[in-house]
Amino acid sequence: MGVVNTVLGPVPADELGVVAVHEALLSVVPGAQYAHDITIDRAEVFATLERELRAFHTAGGGTVVDSTGMFHGRDVRLLEALSRTTGVHLVASTGMGPEALLGGYFLTPQTNPPTPWPAERFADLFGREVAEGMVVPRVERRGAAGLVTTATTRGGRTATDESLLQGVARAALATGAPVSLRIDDVDDLDVVLKEGLPARRVAVVTDDPAAAIDRGAYVVVTDPALVGTLPAERVLLATGGVGVSFGEDAPAASYADLPTALAGDVAHQVLVANPRDLLTIEES
Amino acid sequence: MSHVNTVLGLVPAAELGFVAVHEHIGYGMPGSELDTQWWKTPEQRYEETVPKLRQFHQNAQPYGAATFVDATGICNGRDVSYYQSLSEKTGVHIVASTGFVGGDTALPFFERASVDYLTEQFLHEITVGMGMTGAKAGIIKVGVSRGFLMKELDLRIYRAAARAALATGVPIFTHLAVNAEPAIEIFEDEGLPLDRVLFGHADDGISQGKVRDRWIAEQGGRIGFDTFGYDLELPDPPFWGRPRQERLDHFLGYLRDGLVDSVLASADANCSPLGWPGVKGHTVNYLFDVLIPALHDAGVDDATIRRIFVELPASFLSLQS
Repeated sequence: MGVVNTVLGPVPADELGVVAVHEALLSVVPGAQYAHDITIDRAEVFATLERELRAFHTAGGGTVVDSTGMFHGRDVRLLEALSRTTGVHLVASTGMGPEALLGGYFLTPQTNPPTPWPAERFADLFGREVAEGMVVPRVERRGAAGLVTTATTRGGRTATDESLLQGVARAALATGAPVSLRIDDVDDLDVVLKEGLPARRVAVVTDDPAAAIDRGAYVVVTDPALVGTLPAERVLLATGGVGVSFGEDAPAASYADLPTALAGDVAHQVLVANPRDLLTIEES
Repeated sequence: MSHVNTVLGLVPAAELGFVAVHEHIGYGMPGSELDTQWWKTPEQRYEETVPKLRQFHQNAQPYGAATFVDATGICNGRDVSYYQSLSEKTGVHIVASTGFVGGDTALPFFERASVDYLTEQFLHEITVGMGMTGAKAGIIKVGVSRGFLMKELDLRIYRAAARAALATGVPIFTHLAVNAEPAIEIFEDEGLPLDRVLFGHADDGISQGKVRDRWIAEQGGRIGFDTFGYDLELPDPPFWGRPRQERLDHFLGYLRDGLVDSVLASADANCSPLGWPGVKGHTVNYLFDVLIPALHDAGVDDATIRRIFVELPASFLSLQS
């Protein structure tokens, strides 16, 4: 049996239990941490997430995957403490996107001309977060990322979005980590698949789930009623909410509802088996 | 009595002494903190920074004190509590900035913000404090995004800066003096006198041919000769470098034409760069080691040097009521 990278280290994949597979535990719009009218009170954030995760655990939940990537409020040390406190496995992600959510370091670097980062550099940055550990900026690396994620721009991917897609695919190929994508068009998924990453290694948030499933990817849905309309072995279910959000309004996540959101065999397939298979680190 | 916001509190302008008006403790593009290739231990950061500041303090003794204006924007690695410790331990006055180096260094949260919100952000940082530090910003940084043309976000930041400058009396620093026409239009529209604006990097290599610095000076703006030391003669000069003598001649032209009150000078050096290699050997002390001797050689007298590095910056940095 393979393992999954959690914030507290590798865990055998069959120990994950019911998985909330595509969540945002802590979401901070890049820059909101510097806003004069926003205070990110760690104690309060911790208390809110602890309450939600305990409720999830009590309801039969085992694992929550934070798919916000490395530049949207990720706080690895906070997640470690939450996991230790609540007994819920937490998986954190690397990656970033779409282009509009990147820092200037990647888009207008101090070179002449200021050429945005190519795919290979993103692949290296993200891959090292799996191979060497996730960064606490300018301080240290912690545990390995369990997922590599990006997103594309609404209305059509940009050139940098394309580099991000390729970089994510290459990082996944090099490390065996799974990928998640929030995409504008199924063509964005094709960019990842063209890199040679098997579609079964990819979970997609998309308006066109049928097309993504045709290609063999998992699709993430947030409405339990949709699950029955799709092949059970290709569907993942998420809450669609955010644990704690800074810098933008977001619906609150209720993880506790997830373990009982589906009934029968499909529940095990969608909430346990599919996330387990996706999250298992493959031999690279 | 005029005062200046430093990271350790309000200081009389008369106490500033020698002012390096556009410098950086450490600068990095937003996101560079994710890339371990630039990381330094805290020991290394202090080791690279403290001796430079102590030397600066020493060099400035004839002027009574040393003041280091850090022009690092909100999202570029600005680290105010670190500046406070450096100032406290070295005796160098440090002035920190609110604002952004340019639209392309403002992170998405601020990119989405209105002029009113940005104005509130700047006002808060100038009158209440930056983050949890309690330190108040002494200048507002604005700038032109890469490409030499003001973008819509740049213009929004300039307008918010003009309003915050008018309300608080702190001056504005621009990153780049190119495409100054829309900037001046905004400042005039908002009623901000142009002598409250330092149009920075008017002397850098890549701006030449694009910057109308004499025209800006005629409108009343201050001209920043603030990249002294980024010389093309260096072994590995940055892309904004310029032949050393050419920059000096450009500067001396202002002095010769009686325009000393239109200029300010600095080195734009990083004590310990955060997200780029920096330029080896280039420090704020270039001003003492190379520039002032070169000015002397060119026949510039001590009174003029004092005017450039003491009197003009003291008046520019003073909070205007």
